[in-house]
Amino acid sequence: METLKDAPLLQVEGLCVVARGPAGDKPILTDVGFTLQPREILAVIGESGSGKTVLARTLASWLSAPLTVTAGTVRFRGTDLLQDIAAAKRLAGREIAYVGGNPAGALDPTMTVGAQLVEKLRAVRPDFTATTAKAKAIQLLEAVRIPAAAQRFNEYPFQYSGGMMQRAMIVDALISDPALLIADNITQPLDVTVAAQILKLMRELNERFQTAVLFICSSLPVACEASDRVMVLNGGRVVELQEPTQLVQAPRTDYTRKLIAELPRLWDHATHTPVEAREVARPIMSVRGVSKAYEVSRRGQLGKSLVQAVRNVEFDVYQGDNFGVVGESGCGKSSLMRLLTGLERPDTGNILFEGETVSHASAAKLREMRRRFQLVLQDPYGSLPPQSPIGAILEEPLKIHRIGTPAERRDRARAVMSEVGLPDGLYNSLTTGLSAGQRQRLNVARAMILEPRLLIMDETLSALDQTEQGKMLDLFERLQALHGFTYIFISHDLAMVRRVCSRICVMYLGEAVEVAPNERLFFDPGHPYSRALLSAAPTLEERRYRPEDCLLEGEPPSPIDLPPGCAFASRCPHAFDRCRRENPVLTTRGGRALSACFLNPEPTLYAAE
Amino acid sequence: MTAIDIAIPPAPGAGEARTVASRIWRMAFSSIEFRIGLVVFVLLFLAAALYPELSGIDPTKMNIRGKLMPPLFMGEGWSWAHPLGTDQLGRDMLSRTLVGLRYSLLIGVTTTVLMLAVGALIGMLSGYYGKRVDMVLMRLTDAQLAIPMIILAITILGVSRPTIPAIILVLGLAGWPVYARVMRSTVMSERKKEYVRGAMVLGATDMRIMFTLLLPLVLPPMAFVAVLDIARMMIFESVLGFIGLGVQPPTPTFGNIIADGRKYIMNAWWIATMPGVFLFLTLTSINLMGASLERARNAVYGGA
Amino acid sequence: MFVLKFLIRRLFQGAIIVFLVSALIFTLLRVVPGDPVRLMAGGMAPEALIEQIAEEMGLRDPIPVQFARYMGGVVQGDLGQSFVRPANGASVGGASFDDSTRGERAKVLGLIAETAPMTIQLALLAMVFALVIAIPIGVAGGLAPGRWPDRMALYLSSIFVSLPNFWLGIVLALLLSVKLQLLPAIGYQNFSYTILPAFVLAIEMAPFIIRTLTVSVAGVMAQSFIDIARVRGLSRNRIVFHHGMKNAAVPLLNLLGVQFSMLLGGVLVVEFIFDYPGLGLLTINAVMQRDFPLIQGIAIVTAAAFVLINIVVDLAATTIDPRLDY
Repeated sequence: METLKDAPLLQVEGLCVVARGPAGDKPILTDVGFTLQPREILAVIGESGSGKTVLARTLASWLSAPLTVTAGTVRFRGTDLLQDIAAAKRLAGREIAYVGGNPAGALDPTMTVGAQLVEKLRAVRPDFTATTAKAKAIQLLEAVRIPAAAQRFNEYPFQYSGGMMQRAMIVDALISDPALLIADNITQPLDVTVAAQILKLMRELNERFQTAVLFICSSLPVACEASDRVMVLNGGRVVELQEPTQLVQAPRTDYTRKLIAELPRLWDHATHTPVEAREVARPIMSVRGVSKAYEVSRRGQLGKSLVQAVRNVEFDVYQGDNFGVVGESGCGKSSLMRLLTGLERPDTGNILFEGETVSHASAAKLREMRRRFQLVLQDPYGSLPPQSPIGAILEEPLKIHRIGTPAERRDRARAVMSEVGLPDGLYNSLTTGLSAGQRQRLNVARAMILEPRLLIMDETLSALDQTEQGKMLDLFERLQALHGFTYIFISHDLAMVRRVCSRICVMYLGEAVEVAPNERLFFDPGHPYSRALLSAAPTLEERRYRPEDCLLEGEPPSPIDLPPGCAFASRCPHAFDRCRRENPVLTTRGGRALSACFLNPEPTLYAAE
Repeated sequence: MTAIDIAIPPAPGAGEARTVASRIWRMAFSSIEFRIGLVVFVLLFLAAALYPELSGIDPTKMNIRGKLMPPLFMGEGWSWAHPLGTDQLGRDMLSRTLVGLRYSLLIGVTTTVLMLAVGALIGMLSGYYGKRVDMVLMRLTDAQLAIPMIILAITILGVSRPTIPAIILVLGLAGWPVYARVMRSTVMSERKKEYVRGAMVLGATDMRIMFTLLLPLVLPPMAFVAVLDIARMMIFESVLGFIGLGVQPPTPTFGNIIADGRKYIMNAWWIATMPGVFLFLTLTSINLMGASLERARNAVYGGA
Repeated sequence: MFVLKFLIRRLFQGAIIVFLVSALIFTLLRVVPGDPVRLMAGGMAPEALIEQIAEEMGLRDPIPVQFARYMGGVVQGDLGQSFVRPANGASVGGASFDDSTRGERAKVLGLIAETAPMTIQLALLAMVFALVIAIPIGVAGGLAPGRWPDRMALYLSSIFVSLPNFWLGIVLALLLSVKLQLLPAIGYQNFSYTILPAFVLAIEMAPFIIRTLTVSVAGVMAQSFIDIARVRGLSRNRIVFHHGMKNAAVPLLNLLGVQFSMLLGGVLVVEFIFDYPGLGLLTINAVMQRDFPLIQGIAIVTAAAFVLINIVVDLAATTIDPRLDY
C-alpha cells in the first residue's frame, strides 16, 4: 500500500457530539479522532449506542437537532466540514457518499430506480447529459452484478429484493465517483450469503474505483475481514485503532478482549455442543411430507400464481433434542413454523405431535394440544399485547384454558417470573419500560406457564445483541435441565445454532436439503448449499471452507417459477446434468445424517443406522 | 433502534400513560385549539340545557304584537327580554335557537354513536376473517358508498314521514361505511402482528381475540375521530330540516327556523341568520376539539 | 395489459354496483309508505280511477316484475317517463285527475340530459375554487407541521367545515347580492350566476382537502427517502416538489373520488337555495313529487357517474404510484 505518500483524505480530531435534551446535554461522541487515507477501508465497530451511526452522519453532514457538534474538526482534503457548511453541502452526494442499512425506504417508490440514479447524478454533476448519465448508471448496475441491468434500470424500488436494493444504493453512492464512501451497517439486514457477496463487492469496487470506505458495522468478524484497519468505539470513545490481525492477537483494551472472547467459535472441536438424544419409541414431533403453497396475484398477469413455500419437508424431533432449522430468507422456515404450530394447515402431508395429528386436528383438539407445545416469538416489541400489565399477560394462557383459580394463577405467574429472572415487582407494570432481553424472557415465561413439553423458538434471539443472547441461552439450558423441555430452534444464525443445537436441518427454497447432527453438519456437510452457508458465516477463526470455492453468485430462483430438478442447481459449483432433471430427495449418509444431493454416494443396503 | 433514538430522551410523561387512548387524550387536551373548543362548547351546551327553562320564556308562545323584533342593538324596538329578537309570530328567537340546538346535539350524538357501533362491528368481522366475509361486506359497503348519503336520506324521508327515530336511523345507517373501512384496515394490519399470532398459538378463540384483545386497542382512537362526525351529522340534520324533511314544525330546529326565516330575509334578516351563527359556533367548537383529537391520534400512531 | 385487466374488472364491478343501487332505490320507493298515484291524480280522485291508473302504470305488479321491466328498459337506454312532468316543458305537473294533457310525460333521460350540464358546470367551478383555496393552505401546513401554518390550516379547516352550506348561501346571497350588488344569486341567466353557488360549494369541500393535504404532505416529508435525498445531493426544491408533492398526491386523489359523493349532496342544497336549474334541484322536486321514475333515473345516473369517477381516480393513482394494485 502506498498510502504513506498521499496526504490523508479525512482527518478527524477531538470530535464531540451531544444530544441536547430538556435534562441537559447527553454526550454521544467524545474526543473522537482518526485519519483515513485515500483508497483505504476503515471499519468502525461498536455495540448499539456506541455512537457509530452518529459518527457516520456527522461525516456525511447529516446531523439534525437535537444532535449537535460541540467541539472538534473534520477535515476532508484540508477543508473543515464543520466550519464551512457551504463546502460540506457541495460535497454531499458528490465527493462524500453515504449508504445506509435500510435500503427499502431509501428511494422514492413512485419513480423508477434508473430515473432516480440519473436524477442524483445530474444534480451533483451537471455536466452529465441524460444519455451519458443513463449509460453510466447501467454500467455501474452491471458492475455490482445486478442481472439484466438495462431492464432493471426501468423498474421500481418495490420490484427489487433486499440484496439488490442494497446494491442499487451502492451504485447511487458511487455514481458520482466519490473519494469517500460511508457505508453504515449495510450488511446487517441481509442474509449471510448475500452479505458475503456485498462485502466481496465492496473490496472489488475499492480496487477498481479507488474509493476510500468508512465501513460501519456491529460484527467484529465482518469488520476484520472486510477492512484494512479496524476502529472500536465504546460509549462514544475510540478505544482501539489497529490492523485486524494485530487487533485479534493483541487487543489493547479489556473491552476489546471481552468482545473477542465472547464471540462464538464455530470451528472449534472443543466447543461444548449438546449431544443428541437417544432415540426412543416415538418422536415428540414428526413432519411427514409436508407442503404448502400460497396464491399470489402478479402485476400484469391474469389469474394467480403459486408460491411453493414449503415442499415435501420431512424430519423427526425426539424428546430432549435441541433441533435447529436454519436457512436464509425465502427458504420457507417461517411458513414451516406456522405449519408446525397449527396456525395454518399444510396442503399435503402430516404433522404429528406425540403421535397425534396437528395438521388435521379439529379446532378444539388443537387448543387442547396447545397446552403441550408452545411457541416463543421473534419480535420482542410486537409480540406482547401493548396495553396489558405483565401479570395479566402471564395469566392469559391460564385463563384461556381455564386452569386454576385466580389465586392459583397469580401464584403460577409469579413463580414463572422468578424462573426466567424477571423481578417480582414488575408484576403490575406495563411492558413499556422493558428492554428487549426482558421482553423475550417474558415471552418465554408466557410459553412456559402451561407446562408444555415442546417449545418452538422462532428466531427468538435475533433481535438481541451478543451478551443478551448469551444470557438467554444459559436460561434455556437451565430450564431444559429443570423441566425436560424439547426445543426446536428456527434461526438464520449459524453461530447460535452451532452452540445450542444437537441436530440441524438446513432449508433452501422450501425444501429440507440436509438433516444432520451438529458436529457432522459443520465438519462434514453433505450438501453444497450447507457448505456455502458455512463458508459465508463470519468468524475470526480460520475458515474451514474457502468462500472462493463455494460462494454463491446471483440470487436464488423465484419460488414461483421453479425450474425442474434440484432447486440449487443454478448456483451450485458442482452441478451436473442429472441435477437439472431430477430433484434429489433426502437420503441417508450414515450416522443419522441425511442429505438431498446427487453428489453423495448412493446408500448401500447395509447402511441401516 | 438507531443511535439517534437512544440519544433523544423521551418526552416527560409520555411513558406513563397507560393506554393509547389516554395518550391521545392528553396530547389533544394540551393544545390551545382543543381548549378553546371545549370552553365554547361547554358554554353553548349549558345554555341549551338550561336557558329555555330558566329564562321562563316559552319558545312556542306567540305574541303577534311583539313580532319581528330585532336583536340587541340592531334596529328599532329591541329588548333585553329577547336578545336575539323575535320571529314573525312573536316567538323568542334565543329560546327557539337553543331548543333547536338541543335537537341538533341529540340527533348528532346518537347518530354518530350508531354509525360507530355498526361500522366498527362490520369492520372488525371483515378485517379479522378476511377472504369471503370481507369480500361480501366490502361490496355491501361500496354499494352503500355509491349512493350519496343525502339522496338516500331524502328518498327515504321524503316519501315517508320524518320522525326523530327515522332520521337517526337513516343518517346513522348511511354513514357507517367509512367506519367499517377504517376498522377493517386497522384490524387487518393489527391482525398480522405478532401478539395476535401469540394469542392464537396460546389457544385463544377468535371471539376472545377480537373483543378482548383488539377492540380496546382499536376502538378508542376511532371514537375520538368520531367527534368530527357529530358536527357533520348536525349539519346534515339541519340541511334535512331546511328542505323540509327533518323534524317537523312546530318543533323548532335549525333547519326549519332558517327555512322559515328565508321569507323574511329582506326586513327581518335575523330570523334566518342568527340561528346559523349559533350553529356555526357550536360546530366550530366541536370541530376544533375533533381536529385536535385527530391530530393527536395521527401523532401517536405515526410513532407506533 | 394491466390497464385492460383493471378496466374490465372495475367496469364489471361497477355495473354490479349500479345494478344494486337501482334495485335498492326501486324497492325502497315502493316499499316505503306514500302512494305516488294518489299524488299524481290529485286528492279528489275516486278510488276506482286511482286503481285503474295504477294498474295501467304497472304499479300493482309484484316488485321483482316491475324491476325486471324497468331494467329491461334501462338497458335499452330508456329510463322511463316522469310520473309528473308533462312533455310540454311545464316545470311542475300534477294537475287534477281529469286533466287531458296528462297523457304525454317528459322522458326521464331527457330531463336529466337537460339539467346535468348545468350541474357539471357548477361542480367543476366549485372544484376549481376549492383546490385554489385549499392547496396552498394544506401544503403550507404539511410542510411545517406543528408550526403556525399548520395551526392556521387547522383553524381554517375547522371554520370552513362548520359553516352550514345553506346558511352560508343565504348569508352570502344577502350580503353580496342584495346589499352589495356584486354577484347575481337566484336562477340562471349567464355564467356569472354560477359563481356564488360554486363558491359556497367550494367552502364546503375545502376543509377536507386541507386536512388530507396536511396529513399526507407531513407524512410523506417524514419518510426516510426524503431525508436521505438530502444526503444524496438533491436540492430542496426538487425534493419538495418533485418527490414530496407527487407522493402526497395519491391520498388526495382518493379523497377527490369520495368528495364527488359529498359534492352531490351539497349540490342539492345549493341549487335549491339559489334556484339554480341543475340536477340537484331536479332531484329535490322529484322527491317532493314522488316522481319515481325520475328519482330512479337520477339514482342510476349518479351511481354510474360515481363508479366512473372512481375508476378514473384509481387509474390516475396507479399511474403515479406503481405499487398500488387496484
